[in-house]
Amino acid sequence: MSDYSVVGKKLPRVDAVEKVTGAAQYGADVHPAGMLYGKIVRSKHAHAKILSIDTSEAEKLPGVRAIITQDDVPSGRRVFATDKVLYLGEPLAAVAATDADVAEEAAELIKIEYEVLPVVQDVMESIKPSAPRLHGDETKDGPHRRNISAEIKELSSDQEEDNSDEIRKLQAELEKYSDEVYYNISAETHNEAGDVEKGFAECDIVVEDTYVIPRVHQTYMEPHVSVASADSSGKITVWASTQGPFAIRSGIAGTLGIPLTQINVIGTTMGGGFGGRFGVIITHVPAVLLSQKSGRPVRVQMTREEEFLDGRPAPGCVIKLKTGATKDGHILARQALAFWDSGSVSGASIGSTIRVRGVYKIPNIKIDAYGVHTNKSGTAAYRAPGAPQAIFAGESQLDDIAAQIGMDPVKFRLMNMREEGDSVPAGGSEPKVGYKETLEAVADAAGWWDREADDNQGWGVAVGDWTNGCGPGGVYVSVHEDGSARIFHGSMDITGTDTAITQIIAEILTVPYENVTIRRGDTDSAPYSTGSGGSVVTFTMGNTAKLAAEDARRRILELAAERLNTNEDNLELKDGAVHIVTADPPKSILLGELAAYSLSTTGGPIVGKGSFARQPSTPALAAQIAKVEVDPDTGRTRVLKLVASQDVGFAINPMAVEGQIEGGTVQGYAWAMMEEMQYGDNGNVNPGFVDYRVPTSADLPTVESVIVEVPAPNGPYGAKGVGEPPITPTLATMANAVKDAVGIRVTELPIKPEKVVDALKNNGHGA
Amino acid sequence: MAKHPVSLKVNGDEHDLLIEPRKTLLAVLRDTIGLTGTKEGCSTGDCGACTVIVDGKAVTSCMVLGVTASEKEITTIEGLASDGELHPIQQAFIDTGGYQCGFCTPGFIMASKALVDENPDRSEEEFRFALGGNICRCTGYTKILEAVLQAAEEIRTNS
Repeated sequence: MSDYSVVGKKLPRVDAVEKVTGAAQYGADVHPAGMLYGKIVRSKHAHAKILSIDTSEAEKLPGVRAIITQDDVPSGRRVFATDKVLYLGEPLAAVAATDADVAEEAAELIKIEYEVLPVVQDVMESIKPSAPRLHGDETKDGPHRRNISAEIKELSSDQEEDNSDEIRKLQAELEKYSDEVYYNISAETHNEAGDVEKGFAECDIVVEDTYVIPRVHQTYMEPHVSVASADSSGKITVWASTQGPFAIRSGIAGTLGIPLTQINVIGTTMGGGFGGRFGVIITHVPAVLLSQKSGRPVRVQMTREEEFLDGRPAPGCVIKLKTGATKDGHILARQALAFWDSGSVSGASIGSTIRVRGVYKIPNIKIDAYGVHTNKSGTAAYRAPGAPQAIFAGESQLDDIAAQIGMDPVKFRLMNMREEGDSVPAGGSEPKVGYKETLEAVADAAGWWDREADDNQGWGVAVGDWTNGCGPGGVYVSVHEDGSARIFHGSMDITGTDTAITQIIAEILTVPYENVTIRRGDTDSAPYSTGSGGSVVTFTMGNTAKLAAEDARRRILELAAERLNTNEDNLELKDGAVHIVTADPPKSILLGELAAYSLSTTGGPIVGKGSFARQPSTPALAAQIAKVEVDPDTGRTRVLKLVASQDVGFAINPMAVEGQIEGGTVQGYAWAMMEEMQYGDNGNVNPGFVDYRVPTSADLPTVESVIVEVPAPNGPYGAKGVGEPPITPTLATMANAVKDAVGIRVTELPIKPEKVVDALKNNGHGA
Repeated sequence: MAKHPVSLKVNGDEHDLLIEPRKTLLAVLRDTIGLTGTKEGCSTGDCGACTVIVDGKAVTSCMVLGVTASEKEITTIEGLASDGELHPIQQAFIDTGGYQCGFCTPGFIMASKALVDENPDRSEEEFRFALGGNICRCTGYTKILEAVLQAAEEIRTNS
């Protein structure tokens, strides 16, 4: 075990008391004097032309103070739809009134005339020529057409020889792939390594399947909210429930054409984010516009229904995946063609399709991925964006290959896993990683090697990888006359990160943990900080905090040398005091005394500063095993055991780390088994918790978490980002367990009971 | 809209108020009285974030009209700690890491309190089902159950 006294310990979190007493202030708890209540007016159709918007009746309602439409956006940047709506619930106008109910009444009085247009909700329909066009007629080529077109281009540019015969042949070939002319494409990405054709030819076993993963909502418990106040000088203050106050500041500035320094964003305690809380125009911009127009502070708060209609959920997708292996278990080739449902705008995490490569040595790989427009709201990040979808396909198919070869699924994975120095398919060289350790840890903890199963019971395993992000951050730390230390920074606490920062600074300054306090500043006062997403905070702000504490430590030793009249080399900072190592009898000065001394002389306050930009991150693995029992009559799957291991590098606070593992795993379970945003002819049909079921405590047993620590060279104390990895393997873990239990391979999530019953009736087909 | 006089007893304090009949108890607690510890997560009674205790029973305050709560004893999260001492359930949530973002926590703590007051002698399985009306999106429930069991144990021992 480590020699650390504060980091690595299960300490209570710094926000403990405010969170359990109701004192923590979330966005909707902010209530400046004179505040108005805002309400957004939303489209009643999934695709329609807007013929007119009539606000006259709403204006007459007593209590209404402001009504805005796109005409009130001076920059002209799209905040509200004008000519056409592309999804049910798209904002068209907003109202501010003296009371929330009055605002809602006013919103209903705004008359909108529509001309309804045909709707497309399914990506595979949307790419066809028969689909309505959401943004125009431009098309993109599918994989074969891309290859052939590239060949034609190369031959055409050949000045030396006449290739016209060959070109004509290729053009005829192109015609054969007319169904590869894709419409409504928002984005595309392509990766390739080795030669997949050659790779597949060398395989003994090739498995091919299509995986369908639904759109799901992050379902943070606090709906989007912001309170904006524009004063008469033009200065704007926004209390924002967001993962990134600085991103919101620049987003508002850019959208409305306001100078950055005119905007102060105060991040309020965040009621969950999971990647979905970076949006600027969802509530923040309308609140600012309403405040500017009314001259009063305005709160815009979404209902849960609005969250489902106009939040930015995780994209669903269709992944056609093909994998080949030799009969002795070596994976030689993998190819994916993916269509991601990006909704009305681009932005789906299509780049994550490459994650079908998993953590395996696959010499030949080819990925073609497309973002596709549909009549749905846009999408955003959700905990390891794109990875759960891609890894579901990859890890499901891996099990099918293991079964065909007759190898144990854990052994098959261990055999193919990359180690330090192996080449990552289409991605450089692998650093030191803990893939095998993490999988072995979960197998041991779950009792995989001597597992038993009764009838209709089964075991499933899967692994998922993710690498934390990194970004700029700044931290100040001050040491006070009473020996306490205060941290000041600008990053949002994402359930435990403030605690990790505090533990790091307490460790270095040797100040008792309870005497170190942390305060988050607003964007006017705090140093810039990257947003709290992408598992960046502990890695980035942890490193920043270390730098700040080391800076303060340097100053402390400098002052102590002066005060104790000795050389810095003779000094040691320990237990909140600086000691002369060689002194006999012992001689020391307390940090508080030193801070007071410095204030009363020429030293000034003791302040340490940390400023950090970036360092390479190291991949982390999450490995999970589930034991389930499927009732063949009702199709219901019950989880009997769910064990999750994760390589976290170093657990700065093991209790918080376990919490991340448990929570992420359950979100993955929910995506596998129950969650699905459903769409009918006129948009989302399950915008509430009755029809969009998220798990409760009654749905699951205890999640057993296993912490594995393979240190990251650049992480603070070796820590890696821990928030995102645990959701990545669970979708496949559950599908693999159901397959093992009743022999049904579910390729279309969620694994609803009726799907299982139908498949059992059809002898395992059609799931 | 015409307002009605109501007398609410919240955390031992009497509040004589004039409220519109359409206002929920949640809206009255948060917007009129200013007790914002009780959270609004769905407004449809499905998530439990707004749970308060009314006459000893846990209720979702978004499903109760303020006018119907007149003369009843209401306890919110703000009324749980006494004399600066956290309630054992609050302390257990801290000790076990039974909260993360904290938004569902007041509702969970109030729902747990009503259950433990009624009968602290429940099994884990029974608590799991009894707390099925509260949604937490961060913890995966493992540490919440640990907290509730720890608190129930302590309350059993001390009673």
